[in-house]
Amino acid sequence: MGRPRAFDEDEAVRAAVGLFGGRAYDGVSVDDLVSHLGVHRNSLYKTFGSKRGLYLIALRRHLADDVRPLLDDLAGASDAASALRLVTSADLGLLLLAAIERAPVDEEVASEVTAALAAVDQAIADALGVPADLATALTAAALGILLRGNPDHAATALAQHLGPLT
Amino acid sequence: MARIRIDGDDLVVVIEGLDKLWAFKSSLTIPLANVRGATADPGITTDPKGIRAPGSRVPGVITAGTFHQDGETVFWDVKDPSKAVVIELADEKYARLVLQVDDPRATVALVENSLA
Repeated sequence: MGRPRAFDEDEAVRAAVGLFGGRAYDGVSVDDLVSHLGVHRNSLYKTFGSKRGLYLIALRRHLADDVRPLLDDLAGASDAASALRLVTSADLGLLLLAAIERAPVDEEVASEVTAALAAVDQAIADALGVPADLATALTAAALGILLRGNPDHAATALAQHLGPLT
Repeated sequence: MARIRIDGDDLVVVIEGLDKLWAFKSSLTIPLANVRGATADPGITTDPKGIRAPGSRVPGVITAGTFHQDGETVFWDVKDPSKAVVIELADEKYARLVLQVDDPRATVALVENSLA
């Protein structure tokens, strides 16, 4: 009741991005949040409402902090190879986990994930001047390569095979 | 043990069995607009709970009733910590409810999905 929050909300959310991005939603208990975020349990509930409430805020923070800069970088991509390189080297841990783990069971997560991936598609389409569906295919390939642990030369081989796109 | 259902625009909590004696309550009706979220939280039972009045606390057996801590009023009805769910409220007598339910995951989904 009107007591000042004894923790840095911004820092706590950033720490939650790391936890959820590293261990997935189901792998993080409230005990984990309490011990890693430096937040008392009661403050956690009072501030975020629920674990899912915190997760949604953390996901949006990840999109703003980690995906947004990727979009800016993609705007400067000159060819498919550089677009692939930018996506495969980005920190997209929480986005990928959200897409697999939470989007199928949580509509709000699904719409955030869909919008974020569409933004990546759009950034690639705009930068390379390619049709939207081709940009989507490039994003999909890049995310696949990222999920595979960015195996040597996969992105290069794909880009070489594609050749000039426009 | 508590049974939780959504009835129109309300969250209805029914305290079952003898728990309603210990808890001094048999049901609670909360407008969904005042429900902020639900979380499965087995660890909460090991936290300090504050001062009880009215209700029962037999450590290690049952925590039921109204507890006061840090200016907050919290309603508890938990015997089995592994099935504890925390429902956070706003603009209600209780700041939160800590309830034992049959299926915490299903209860959390039910409540979270019913919030706008």
